[in-house]
Amino acid sequence: MIKDKTAFEPFSLEPIRLLSPEGEWIAPFELDLDEATLKGFYRDMVTARMLDEKFVILIRTGKTSFIAPHAGHEAAHVGIAHAMQRGHDWLFPYYRDMGLMVAMGVPMVEIFGQMLGNAADPAKGRQMPSHPGSKKLNIFTVCSAIASHIPPAAGAAISMKLRRSNQVAVCTFGDGATSEGDWHAGINFAAVQNAPAVFVCENNRYAISVDYAHQTSAHTIADKAHAYGIPGYRVDGLDVLASYYVMHHVIERSRSGAGAALVELEVYRYGPHSSADDDTRYRPKSEVDAARKRDPLVRFRKFLEQRGLWDSAAENKLRTQIAHDLEAALQEAEAAGEAPAEWMFDDVLSRRPWHLEEQRKLVLDELR
Amino acid sequence: MATMTLIQAINKALDEEMARDDQVVVFGEDVGKRGGVFLATEGLQQKYGPERVIDTPLSEAAIIGAAVGMAAHGMRPVAEIQFADYVFPGFDQLVSQAAKLRYRSGGQFTAPMVVRMPTGGGVKGGHHHSQSPEAHFAHTGGLKVVVVSTPYDSKGLLKSAVRDDDPVVFMEPKRLYRALKEEVPEDDYLIPIGKAAIRREGGDITLISYGSSMVETLKAAEEMAAAGIQAEVIDLRSVLPWDKETVLNSVARTGRVLMISEAPRMASVASEVTATISEELFDQLLAPPVRVSGFDTPYPYAQDKLYMPTVTRILNAAKRVLDY
Ligand SMILES: Cc1ncc(C[n+]2csc(CCOP(=O)(O)OP(=O)(O)O)c2C)c(N)n1
Repeated sequence: MIKDKTAFEPFSLEPIRLLSPEGEWIAPFELDLDEATLKGFYRDMVTARMLDEKFVILIRTGKTSFIAPHAGHEAAHVGIAHAMQRGHDWLFPYYRDMGLMVAMGVPMVEIFGQMLGNAADPAKGRQMPSHPGSKKLNIFTVCSAIASHIPPAAGAAISMKLRRSNQVAVCTFGDGATSEGDWHAGINFAAVQNAPAVFVCENNRYAISVDYAHQTSAHTIADKAHAYGIPGYRVDGLDVLASYYVMHHVIERSRSGAGAALVELEVYRYGPHSSADDDTRYRPKSEVDAARKRDPLVRFRKFLEQRGLWDSAAENKLRTQIAHDLEAALQEAEAAGEAPAEWMFDDVLSRRPWHLEEQRKLVLDELR
Repeated sequence: MATMTLIQAINKALDEEMARDDQVVVFGEDVGKRGGVFLATEGLQQKYGPERVIDTPLSEAAIIGAAVGMAAHGMRPVAEIQFADYVFPGFDQLVSQAAKLRYRSGGQFTAPMVVRMPTGGGVKGGHHHSQSPEAHFAHTGGLKVVVVSTPYDSKGLLKSAVRDDDPVVFMEPKRLYRALKEEVPEDDYLIPIGKAAIRREGGDITLISYGSSMVETLKAAEEMAAAGIQAEVIDLRSVLPWDKETVLNSVARTGRVLMISEAPRMASVASEVTATISEELFDQLLAPPVRVSGFDTPYPYAQDKLYMPTVTRILNAAKRVLDY
């Protein structure tokens, strides 16, 4: 039972797509985004891609110990972020959402600080790299345990409803996450409470090596929404405008009191699962090559070019600027130096009990 | 005899047990096509097919719960949890189902199953890829808990675990997967669950440890030997049941004991063992039993190495016990 009638039809047979592979606008409605916004989308997508490339250098040079490549997720990331009221709504992301961090406006130096696990990390070097978060921007700090953030997202959304804050909780995850009990428990609760929660699957068709067919027998992830009585939207997540418009529609629908929704953004992960993964063991290179031909950046650039908004001079200028900004932020983060050893004992509890005090002293004595 | 790493010994044990008994099945996240993220199950799916080596959906509750059902129905499931840190979504199945099936059914139903998991830190994994949750399992009546520290033991203990009639939590320190190599026999041998190993003999002090901390414990013992102090080193191997007899015999001789483990200190296996020693050998002790442990913080990323008992920390604590 779907509770309202919407502009985008849930449970569509084909993924919702507004840009053709050649970058033509094929939507049944007028594009109402201005030039600056469209260019902003593109800037964020390119920044996200270049950040991904920078991370590869960080891992190769041993400056970081773990990366989760997000290339291929950029259109989804930018669409999600720009559809939110950034800084007002809450985001519950997962580890592959670095492009989302870029588009949410997390300062680059914080992103690099977290990747280095050093004193520039606002979370004090506690977690492995690729686990961002920002209290200032209402971005719930990423947790490695898959799907464990979904019930908290439901809870935040329930709080938003009870406290009438006019916010929405947006929660992202991969297709693998949809198999965890927490996923079902969280979505069910949010749905029952008619809470303003939007659950977003960035479906790249793999959970490490386990392909979609071994993960679920459901035809689509969006279909699973049927079980919870909420709408499920299947979207071409390599199309930034489809990702943006559907997310915007669904977020505002939730904000207006219509309750939870599930959105499936179909993307592809071009890199391995992580820096610890060898993807040639489980997927053919030809599949990756074919997916690369559908690159979301290329598609959107074609769109901008056709509208006379972009050319190679603009492209070069943008890339030079981003490369410079990334390098400057990295250097600034590196300059912050190591996280002091005794930070290990902070924030375990609101105050340090005797046993942590003793253990802290032991380490300080040892290092003296 | 072949020289093997710990992970290769695990792989060999699984291979041999699958060949020996066609009721043995292996399953978990990424164990099939990829051969496991640490390659513990490499090659097994090619050899035994996707019905006996199953890539599962991403659900530890499903993995452990299904193992209970398969075991109750007569199979010998060996489930892999990708990291010990991710046992918690399946913890309910382990604690409520696996651990209590024999007891609650009055012995009518049983769950002879193995849940393997990489454990411990030192690999820059942050707090969700570094924990040592053995105390959680040891605190639950109805489970057996093994933590290995050498390739030779890994093969013999895993084979015993597969054949054991109880649910066995089998923990493999990931820091050691490729760090050690030793000769591992090609033949079928078993190491009994519940039996400790004496890694080094000595009469001055007993050092007890298990899992990855065995590395630093043995190094500390060598340094102590260079200074003229002979430490006896015991590797518990099984933390539930742990080998009380071997431990008490040793401590009764040395009168001094240090227990080393990288798990947090509070309510730990180290606490249990040292408390038992105090209770049973109070009169014979020349110094209070001392623990060297991980800290009671979530496992930190930036201080990855400092969190674990270092050789220096062990030697400092040993000095305290010896000088008492
Ligand atoms: C509870 C839990 N189990 C296992 C893991 C190990 N693990 C990390 S990522 C991953 C695959 C996740 O796949 P998916 O949810 O599809 O997201 P993707 O990485 O494809 O974006 C697994 C199994 C984990 N982090 N948490």
